[in-house]
This record gives sequence, structure tokens and C-alpha cells, in this order.
Amino acid sequence: MKAVVVGAGFAGSLIAKVLGDNGFRVLVLEAGAQPDHDEALLRFQTALVKTPLAPYRTTTAAPSSDYLINTGPFDYASPYLRINGGTGTAWTGITPRMHPEDFRTADLGHGRNWPISYDELEPFYRAAEWEIGVAADADEQRQHLPVADGYSYPMHALPRTYLDHVIASVVDGATIDGQELLITGTPQARNGIPVRGYRPDGQLCAGYASCVPICPEQAKYTPHRTQKRWSHNVELRTRCVVNRVHADEFGRVTKVSYQRYEDDTTGTHTRHEEEADVVVLAAHAIENAKLLLMSGLANSSDQVGRNLMDHPALLTWALMPEPIGPFRGPGSTTAIDAFRSGPQRCTRAPFRIEIGNWGWGWSAGSPGSDTAEFVAAGLRGNALRQAVANRVGRQFTLQFEIEQEADPTNRVTLGPGRDALGNPRPSVHYGLSTYVKDGLLDAKRVSDRIFELLRAEDHTSYKPDDERYFEHNGEPLRYWGAGHGGGTHVMGVSPRDSVVDQWQRCWDHPNLYAVGCGSMPSLGTSNPSLTMAALALRTAGHLVSRRVMSAGSELAESAGSRPPP
Amino acid sequence: MDAFVELSAELTGFSAEELRSTGLVEQYRGLAGNASHAEIIELWYTGVWRGVIPSPRAYAEGLAWKAVGVAAPGTGAPGFGSWERRPRRSAL
Repeated sequence: MKAVVVGAGFAGSLIAKVLGDNGFRVLVLEAGAQPDHDEALLRFQTALVKTPLAPYRTTTAAPSSDYLINTGPFDYASPYLRINGGTGTAWTGITPRMHPEDFRTADLGHGRNWPISYDELEPFYRAAEWEIGVAADADEQRQHLPVADGYSYPMHALPRTYLDHVIASVVDGATIDGQELLITGTPQARNGIPVRGYRPDGQLCAGYASCVPICPEQAKYTPHRTQKRWSHNVELRTRCVVNRVHADEFGRVTKVSYQRYEDDTTGTHTRHEEEADVVVLAAHAIENAKLLLMSGLANSSDQVGRNLMDHPALLTWALMPEPIGPFRGPGSTTAIDAFRSGPQRCTRAPFRIEIGNWGWGWSAGSPGSDTAEFVAAGLRGNALRQAVANRVGRQFTLQFEIEQEADPTNRVTLGPGRDALGNPRPSVHYGLSTYVKDGLLDAKRVSDRIFELLRAEDHTSYKPDDERYFEHNGEPLRYWGAGHGGGTHVMGVSPRDSVVDQWQRCWDHPNLYAVGCGSMPSLGTSNPSLTMAALALRTAGHLVSRRVMSAGSELAESAGSRPPP
Repeated sequence: MDAFVELSAELTGFSAEELRSTGLVEQYRGLAGNASHAEIIELWYTGVWRGVIPSPRAYAEGLAWKAVGVAAPGTGAPGFGSWERRPRRSAL
């Protein structure tokens, strides 16, 4: 059985591993180049703005998200990376599970339901947590989520930051809008102290405080780890841009076309084809949709490219009364989960509140911005040094991940422009619904209350000339992209209104799978990579069992799928 | 007496010895020997010279981080769990 996997990121690397371990011949075609860790670290250190993509070598032939064309009322602000390892190379490594409610958001009044429940996915969450290597405490997670009895995460929860302890000492047990606040550890895909029976891959987290975009110690999981565990059945080809998937008259996928390039600075390429018994698209939500649209496949529902979601993030920032030591250790080790679920989500989007440990780095460009402010105010010498220490040493940020419901008008289409290989650039029409805006506004109000509890000095400000600024009910607001694109080949119970079934198999093509966050009917309020990984493992298991079941008819099936000579 | 180092020390609030320990005095003298005070401070504090970070060391040795008492992100490994400790008061 020959499988072609398009994309060597999170989902593609995991599926390739399981298929290779189970006797499939697997070819993984990755559009981007191979990253070089030392080079990326150097580029990070000398990048003026340390954006998630800054460290990574990108190529002219396979541009990353900066080639998107925005056409909607709001800009889609989330980056993705086309490189071996995908955006999982740069990700932050935070791995909360989705809340059980998140699987039936349509029942709660907004968005779409999943075809599977939390309980059905739960065993695959456990498998993904062990495959990736997640540090968390099961009893702590049970305070807001069902976790299987007797289960241990492979590593103990990471130590909290000093900031977490200070905040918990004030807010634990306080209530806002009848919700009791509790600072809860956030599961992390970075190496901590293992439980018995688990051997961490790589070094212990050493606290470099640059997890996103690059962990110098490589203590954070990236898909490269899974790739190291691939069997010899798996072959990776980088710098191969798949630009068409072909199907026969019965809908069976037969082969893919791809463009291979050697030179990272031009669009010069050669054309190739590869036959396959099964094709798995794992190229990122936007790239998967683009490829399906370019191929004219899987779209009898007219849902390909639609339902694009992200987490519009609200950042608020303040000073604690005393120094708390920001910029030490992971970016966020705890959260407040009280606003992720409950009846309020029927009226406004729910949110998860991350305690942000890297000062105002993301929100306001600290400490460079503070220095510039003090210098402009005339501070020099010891006065300047003291002012920077006093300001930056007390900084923290609250990062609200707001749920965005599936909305068919938020949409990826093929844009008018072409990239260097002659392929269409993705065009994104993106907006925020009233439900999302109400969630952002309520998050800001909750932030005000938390800052009051902490006696923190609020420095949050959103100004009309800021990027992604808008007003809602007369209040200034702003959102940031969390990098959590999903929904573009949405999963459902019917081919009439969804692109893939519960196994991430395209309804229209029995041997074509579109996997990744693009399959998710809702994103809830949790960083989606872990859920993507759980879904990928579930799909991989399905593919393996399907092959076993069809072993007798496999030859006839694949012969019939070949195009006539 | 090194006039550039003396001026830098006066502007930044870091001693000549602290500045020399960054290993950047010669590079910065070459870049900013005749620059404005604000530009000299920006270079020492953030490692940025006219919109460019001239070397990884310039980033790593940024005085803004030293003022706070932490390593520039991605340049220092304080060790597993170190982030849980109360921050030390930066010495002035």
C-alpha cells in the first residue's frame, strides 16, 4: 500500500510514522526546505522583530503566510510556516485539551458540532500526549476537564513561574461574574521530569524564554522528533510543492503532481508525478484548502475553504506592585479556565486566559519600547537604568484566546495573483462576528477586574493607528493572531455540508484524506495542535485498520484506481 | 581615559567595567563614536544600531536585559525551574 503525505508538519509527520510502522510505503512531500537549527538561532538573535517566522529560512518557491491576500473587513493575522516541520517548528508548545462542550458548539448556539465527542477523542488525546511528550498533572487538569482514571501524563507538570504563584495567591478563590477563579497549570510540550516508563526525547527545559519561535535547547517538541522515529518505510522529499491531486472518473485519487526546486531564491523547478493508493493532505488549513480548490476536488458541499477560524487573541498588560521576574522560563505555564465553558458562551464567545510570563514583549515590544520611552523623556545614566529595571521587572500580560465560531463567510479562495511557481496565492476573506466581538469586549472587562484584584497598574491601550484596531459598542479593542488557523475542510456527519467525515476522509473521494486543524468544526479556546495530533493518530489508526480489513481486495482496488494506459 | 567608554557609562548607568565586559566596546565605538546620545543608549540597551542588530552578541548583551537581571531570551539557560524563584533585586 503506497501512501503520499503532503506536508511534513505536525499531522503529516505523525500519520507518516504510524503508516510506516504498519507496513505502508510512505512518501512525504514537503513544500519547504529543511531548517538548520544553528542558523535559525542566529537569525532569531539578530532579527529586529522576533516574530514567529523570523528565524526560519523560507524559499521563493514555497512562500509562507506572508503571501496571503486579505480581502475581508478584518485582516487574518496568523502566520504559518512552510518548512520541514511546518508551523510546529515555531509553535509555542502549549497543549491544553479542548473542553467537552467545545465538541457541540452548535447545540450551544454558535458554530458547528463535531461528529465525535470528547469521550471518543479522549484515548487519542492520551496517545498524542505520550507521542509528543506533554508535562502536566492529571489531577490538576481534572479540575476543569475529564481525564481518564489512572492516567498519568508522561511528565510531571512544569514548575510554575514566580508570577503564577503571586497571581494565584491573590485570585484563587475570588469570583468574577459568579465564576470562581483558579490558576491552573497549562500542559506543556516541553521536557520536564518524566514519570516512570517515559524517556524524554531531548534535554530538560532550561528556561531560555524563547520557546516560540525557537527553543535553543530543543526541549520543546517539534515534528522533527517524530520524523527521527520514522521507519525505513517513510521517505521524505523536501522542496516539493504538490500543486494538483488527480482523481479518476469514480472519484478515486490516483496520483499527485508536484514541482521540485533546488534553488531557494527563484521559482525554477521541475515537474513530477507520484502515484498513490491513498493521499493524505497535511499541508496546513489554508494550504490544504488551496490544494483542494486547485485540484477541483472534495467540494461537492461547497465548504472547501470556508469556516476559516483562528483565535483572535486579546492582550492586556499591566505592572504588578512588586518585581516578579518576567522573561524567565516558558512563555506561559498557567491559565484561568473559568471562562472556557458554561452558559455565558451562549451569549458571547468563551475565552481562556493565559498568564503571560514574557513581560510586554508580545503586547508592547518591551523592553526596547520602554527604553525608547524613557530616553525620549530625557532619562540618562542611573535614572534610566533604574526606570527600566523598575518598569520591566514588574511587567506581565494576560493573553485571552477567544473562541471564533465556524462561519462559512470566513473563507479561503484562490486569489488572482500567482506565486513564483505559477500557483495561485490564497485569498482570505476574514471577519469577526458580533459573538466574537462580544467575547473580546467581555474579556477586556474581566481583565479590568483581575487587574483590580491584583492591584496591578493597567497599561493596556488600543489606539486607532494600531494594527487590527476596531471599536465595539463604543469601546476600543484590538486583536492579535494566535496562529491557530482551522476549519477550512470541515468535518461533519453529512457530505451535504462538510468536506471530511469523522476520519478526516473526504466524502467525495474514498482514498483522499485532508487532515489537521482544517478538519476541526470548532476550535474552542485551546491551542489546537494537541487536538490536531489526537485526530491525526485517530485517522492513522483508521487507515491501518482499513488496510487490514481490505487486505484481500487491495490489489484489485488499487489496479482499478489507476488511470487507463 | 577612553572618552567613548566614559560617555557610554555616563549615559547608560552601567560602569566602564560592566560595559567592557560585554566585549562590544570596540564594535560600538566604530559604529557610534560620533552618534547622538540617544543612539548610543539605544545601541547599548537594545543592541539595535539604526534599525539593525549588528551581531548576536549585541542582542545578547543588551543592557535593558541586564538592568532587569535576566538573560536576553534565547541566549541564557538559567536552569530547569529557575523561573519559580523570587527574582533577585537588580544591583544598582
